[in-house]
Amino acid sequence: MRKKYTIPTYFAFGWLGFAVFLAVFGSFIPIDGYQVIHGDFIDSPPFTSGHWFGVDSNGYDIFSGIINGARLSIFIAVVSVGLGGFIGSLLGVTAAYYRGRYDSVVNTAFNVVLSVPNLVLALALVAVLATNVDINEAVPTWRRLITLVMSLTIVIIPILGRIARAATLAWSGREFIVAARSMGMRDRHIISRHIVPNVLPALIAVGFLAVGVVIIAEASLSLLGVGIPDGASWGGMIARGRNDLEYNPHALYIPIIALAFTVISTNHVGDVLRGKLDRREGRL
Amino acid sequence: MMSIGNLHVRFATPFGSLEAVRSVDLEIPAGASVGIVGESGSGKTVACRAAMGLLSGSNVQRDGTVVFDGKELTAMTREEVRNEFGTGMAMIFQDPMTALNPVRRIGTQLSESLRLRLGMDKKAALARSAELLSLVRIPDPEAMLKKFPYQLSGGMRQRVMIAIAISCNPKLLFADEPTTALDVTVQAQILQLLSELRRDLKMSMVLITHDLGVVANHTDFVAVMYAGEVVEQATTAELFANMKMPYTQALLNSIPNIEMKSGERLQVIEGRLPNPVDRPKGCGFVTRCSYAQQKCHDEHPPLLDAGNGHLYRCWYPLGHTIARKP
Repeated sequence: MRKKYTIPTYFAFGWLGFAVFLAVFGSFIPIDGYQVIHGDFIDSPPFTSGHWFGVDSNGYDIFSGIINGARLSIFIAVVSVGLGGFIGSLLGVTAAYYRGRYDSVVNTAFNVVLSVPNLVLALALVAVLATNVDINEAVPTWRRLITLVMSLTIVIIPILGRIARAATLAWSGREFIVAARSMGMRDRHIISRHIVPNVLPALIAVGFLAVGVVIIAEASLSLLGVGIPDGASWGGMIARGRNDLEYNPHALYIPIIALAFTVISTNHVGDVLRGKLDRREGRL
Repeated sequence: MMSIGNLHVRFATPFGSLEAVRSVDLEIPAGASVGIVGESGSGKTVACRAAMGLLSGSNVQRDGTVVFDGKELTAMTREEVRNEFGTGMAMIFQDPMTALNPVRRIGTQLSESLRLRLGMDKKAALARSAELLSLVRIPDPEAMLKKFPYQLSGGMRQRVMIAIAISCNPKLLFADEPTTALDVTVQAQILQLLSELRRDLKMSMVLITHDLGVVANHTDFVAVMYAGEVVEQATTAELFANMKMPYTQALLNSIPNIEMKSGERLQVIEGRLPNPVDRPKGCGFVTRCSYAQQKCHDEHPPLLDAGNGHLYRCWYPLGHTIARKP
């Protein structure tokens, strides 16, 4: 009955597990920090002893950068998708359950936010919120980080919110919702016990896709110069590495590979989970 | 137990106001079983849901009075009406395939009303759930508690639905076509079960169906609905003895009969219900009635009393002396 996982699925789960492991425990790995300059090894290619992934033209170790980048990229993605998913589904589920004017307002707001291209919206938010009045004064990293997470959250809210709303619309028309009401259940109970468990599979599947979208968005923002400074995230490493593509291509390719594997894996895991979670309904 | 007075239900639609229930008066005596009969779209379900207060939405308008157990439901707040759900009145739904939540176990669904409405703790609620399941004749109730709805057959699911509906000892049970979605062999068992439960638990019951045969066996009173109106109402014995409405007779004739000769065609009621947004001014059944006269086209018949509480809505009831069209 249970379908066996395919090799790509094992790979995707494995890679994501590995990336999350790096993100959580990366700082315990006994190697130099990502900002330590290895003057003797500048521009070393991959597989140099002590620097598996090579060193870039500033003397930063790329392996160390990847580990540190995993922490930031994954932290940003998971926090924005988690926060955006929570707020979005709260709005979407209640809008679809109560309908009426509240629903019109929420749905219109979703559509307005969706009508602005993701990247343009995030770019505008970061550019406005993460700058000082005095342009000569540097913006602290933590403030850029918070602004980045906030703006990506705002991008995610309508994406997941619409999924939640659509799924709730379908489920709240079902007879078992009326049946629950006819037994005197409160709306809050019906939403949390009857609607959310049915809506969650769709949200989880799309949530994984959204993680991929956010990782790419964060990298794109870095390329545009508004991400986390100092090449701390994967996107930042790509942004910094693109300058010496001719002399030192691995400084660009290695973070790109890490990013690509992660995004492909989240998309694949999202697909697999959707297939698995949908099955209970399919067997009806 | 419940008395419904002058109940109107209107839905706002893009095509105009749709009056799904028109001026329905119905008395449900304590301990009695009342059948509501009519074809699809005649307003049976809407009338019951409106009486219970289950219709919601900004496009629904309900008028009239519903008095339940001495309390006027139509004058109560939503929260007060909600307190009557489950413990006062409960409903069994037509389609057991969609009336159970597919992702939650039977035990969870059955015990949640016990816990929320009767304040039982988890353990007591599960024990009571198993009792309820054996009350509706489900074998091995303990194992059933752990199952998901998709693992059950239609008849089993309908039994679970009945168990949920009676879990908080309602005084009035609405059974909305409880057997329509079921296999014929299971239908009789479910109806039998409902009748026994009603007697044992001393409930009143409203049985909605389109099958006059079911009504004959399981109810004390019958109301026949057509196009949102009650067109005939009497005790079950009186209705079958002195049928007044051509519509009721047509319904009865459309039930297959074991004594029919092979190859003989089943009688059907030709035509359709009148458009509920744009009703004809005369009798709603006029275009389908084989006895229709000019008066039926022109004037809407009022609800008349034939004595002994037998109400009907027809200018020329069956047994009338006026010469009929063939």
